[in-house]
Amino acid sequence: MSGESRILEGYVSLPYKWAMGAATTRFFEELKNKKIMGTKCPKCNRVLIPARSFCSHCFEKIDEWKEVSQEGTLRTWCTVNFSYEGQPKEPPYILGIIDLDGADVGLPHFVGGVDLDDFEEAAKKVHIGGRVRAVWKENRTGNILDIDYFQPVE
Amino acid sequence: MGHAVAIIGTGQTHCGKRTDVSYPELIYEAVSRAFEDSGLSPDDIEAVVSGSMPPAMEGVNNPHLYWADAMGAGGKPLIRIATCGSTGISLAHAGFYHVSSGLFDLVLVVGAEKMYEGNPQGVMATVADPFFQRPFLAGAPGIFALQSNEWAHRYGLEEKRVRMAAAELSVRNHTDALDNPYAHIKVKIAVEDVLKSRVIAYPVRILDVCPASDGACAVIMASERMVRKMGAKPAWIRGVGYCGEEAFFGEGDKVVWQAAINAAKTAYKQAGITDPRKEIDVAEVYNPFTFQEMLFYECFGFCDFGQACELVEKGVVMRGGDLPCDPSGGVLCTNPIGATGLQRAAEIALQVTNKAGDHQIPGASTGLTHAMGGLDQFNGIMIISNSL
Amino acid sequence: MGKRVAIVDTVQTEHGDKLEDNIREIMFGVVRQLLDRVGIEKSEIGTMVSASSDYWEGISCSNAYYYDAAGANLKSGSNAEEDSGLAFIYGFMRILSGDYKTALVISITKCSETPSAATLTHMSADPFFHRPVGLNETVVAGLQAREYMNRYGITEEDLAMVVVKNLGNAQKNPYAHRGGQLSEEEVLASSMMVYPLREMDIPSTSDGACAVLLAEEKIARDLTDTPIFVEGVGWGTDHSFLGDRNLLNGSLPKAAERAYQMAGVKDPSNEIDMAEICDITSFHEILWMEQLGFCPPGKGADLVKDGVTAMHGKLPVNPSGGLFGANPYVARGLIRIAEAAMQLKGEAGDRQVLDVSRAVAQSVHGLGGQLHSVIILGT
Repeated sequence: MSGESRILEGYVSLPYKWAMGAATTRFFEELKNKKIMGTKCPKCNRVLIPARSFCSHCFEKIDEWKEVSQEGTLRTWCTVNFSYEGQPKEPPYILGIIDLDGADVGLPHFVGGVDLDDFEEAAKKVHIGGRVRAVWKENRTGNILDIDYFQPVE
Repeated sequence: MGHAVAIIGTGQTHCGKRTDVSYPELIYEAVSRAFEDSGLSPDDIEAVVSGSMPPAMEGVNNPHLYWADAMGAGGKPLIRIATCGSTGISLAHAGFYHVSSGLFDLVLVVGAEKMYEGNPQGVMATVADPFFQRPFLAGAPGIFALQSNEWAHRYGLEEKRVRMAAAELSVRNHTDALDNPYAHIKVKIAVEDVLKSRVIAYPVRILDVCPASDGACAVIMASERMVRKMGAKPAWIRGVGYCGEEAFFGEGDKVVWQAAINAAKTAYKQAGITDPRKEIDVAEVYNPFTFQEMLFYECFGFCDFGQACELVEKGVVMRGGDLPCDPSGGVLCTNPIGATGLQRAAEIALQVTNKAGDHQIPGASTGLTHAMGGLDQFNGIMIISNSL
Repeated sequence: MGKRVAIVDTVQTEHGDKLEDNIREIMFGVVRQLLDRVGIEKSEIGTMVSASSDYWEGISCSNAYYYDAAGANLKSGSNAEEDSGLAFIYGFMRILSGDYKTALVISITKCSETPSAATLTHMSADPFFHRPVGLNETVVAGLQAREYMNRYGITEEDLAMVVVKNLGNAQKNPYAHRGGQLSEEEVLASSMMVYPLREMDIPSTSDGACAVLLAEEKIARDLTDTPIFVEGVGWGTDHSFLGDRNLLNGSLPKAAERAYQMAGVKDPSNEIDMAEICDITSFHEILWMEQLGFCPPGKGADLVKDGVTAMHGKLPVNPSGGLFGANPYVARGLIRIAEAAMQLKGEAGDRQVLDVSRAVAQSVHGLGGQLHSVIILGT
């Protein structure tokens, strides 16, 4: 078949309400109090953050809570210089995976408190193996962004 | 035929509005029960198959990756299967082929849905293509109303008679669901309640229609070699059949419904079934709408075309009849879509191994399990027995 | 494994940034062409397995929309939703079971019709922890690349070489969406997306479709003089939470090991003649090559530098141009398989590599390469 082919424009936008479960709910409640709580697997003894109700490796239920440090080591990081629909933050920004002291798994979160206009200078402060510490939001409402970002510590 | 395949364990969650758990936690619940039932642990599993309805239902793309840990799938082969409403039976088929191919001895199959997290009818409206059908066929009840009216008209069935038969099926499902610990809707109703309930899409009333549910189901399948090794007394999969048809609703005949007829025929042939009415002891027919269940009886050869009302009137498809259907309470009372078809298979596995508890059909040895999907487009069947 | 299964033939669209035809028409086009090329009727197709995704189509139950357009009306079928490499494996298993003698495997993605890959892979991130911090495929690629660079010290120039090679190869691929003779400087001049990945290190998405006909050995031999046998398959997923995972040693090595074991391959770097892999970024071609056992960890860039993976090197990687040539998201895995099969058949035209009897095709989806499939094909 030959001839013109037009485009039908549409938009699929739907509301969601995601059930968190008890482990995530408590994890977020604790964030309000500036506490980062993990759960500890009784079998492999790993402390998992975000806190979860079962261990991904052992497939055991987890009940034991364990606070982890607000400070940790940067496992890896990147700068985000592009935009997309649904993006939570205006680029540019830095994202990292942080191995918090006392936790056995990493936490992906923003790295902030550095001036991205001077990239060379920023890259001196933000580096793999470098130490970072949680910076909290003033108004905490019980979600992962109650931690505003992780800031490099000297 | 490939390698023989058995169901050696099942796990279901309680269904309903499950805001107490996250999506992965809901799946963990079903999977843990399947391990408990089979006496296996995640380490034993060699491959995992999982699926749900459109992932827009929960607002997560690639949900199988989001739940990978909840299935103990880390480090293991994993495939996501999604075929709309028939997802559950397609999952069961995919698990079957993993084992039947000879590649695996133990496979975990998981279906799930959390319909309270999104907007199920909004998502289902996007099943219809955006050019021709979406403006009209948005929402399932309308499609089923169109189909049932055509069916009644084709065979000159009196409106009152069809109405009564549908109402009796609704009462049967609601009554049976009371005996199923995992069912969602648990209310005692009478025929008058159905007849008085609100019209959703004429002639379909609210009590003719399934709910939206949160729920998950897990099934563990094993090769014959593994069954012997474990000394298990499993439910054997003896036949599988699936058939899909045109995307446009108006194109095919939905009364003498070829996709449903073919799916059953293929499965019967594989299972060596020639007289389904006699050889099948129990059936879990996918029945999101009472009227449509009767149409399936005809397509599956439980009776001649136009005769389904009689099966209801004579009590054949009721508990105590000689072909009881949906003793679990069916889809009409529990419908976490991505799990629904798999729940049918799990329920038949329970029935033929005499593990169905309060809703056990005494002496059931061969059962039919079914699911349907798309805009009346896909049908899948599985025949399950207590012997090979 | 007693039964042998082979690829009879393959068909691809001429991929592009915007194919004008409707999804059903494109699907019909590739399947019709495949049937005509092989010389069989639709009635001779046993079963159909598709790969298409609801998020990547904007139509829920995506396979329902084109089921009949894929020649599957009144046939059995299924949909391995997110990755066409897995649809291929499922079709393979259906034939192995003995229930079907032939299987049509198809996949389509029209990225021109959907939100961006950045947005759709952002929706793959869980809503509580990963999505609020903006994870998506590209961002995780950046995190992964940074960790790799830190460990093994490769440079942006090394990455640029992959882009130059693949876009150069793509020039010779008539199905490719883009291609060109670029210099490393041109790649390095493109804007920084997620350090160290520049705009040109990340293949943008495409529209495209692919159809592959699988058959058991006897039928395959009746239908073609050059059946390409499926010698091994392996696939596997990594854990859900990004922080739980080792981003430099995920699910691919294990998936590859499974496939090699089935195919009886002990030394991939010597026994594999060419590879088509999902270079979701220039960096990932290097990482995946290492995890496919082509070289030890940290040495992937040397393979590119030394010309081993060039079109006429010892182990050509992505002579089609890979995803740099065309990246229709869900269909890309099946296209890798089709390209490898064309090479083994000796039908790859200007991009034909020499002396190939065994090839690897790899497919991946999920953040940071969570789920991989590996397929070994041979003559």
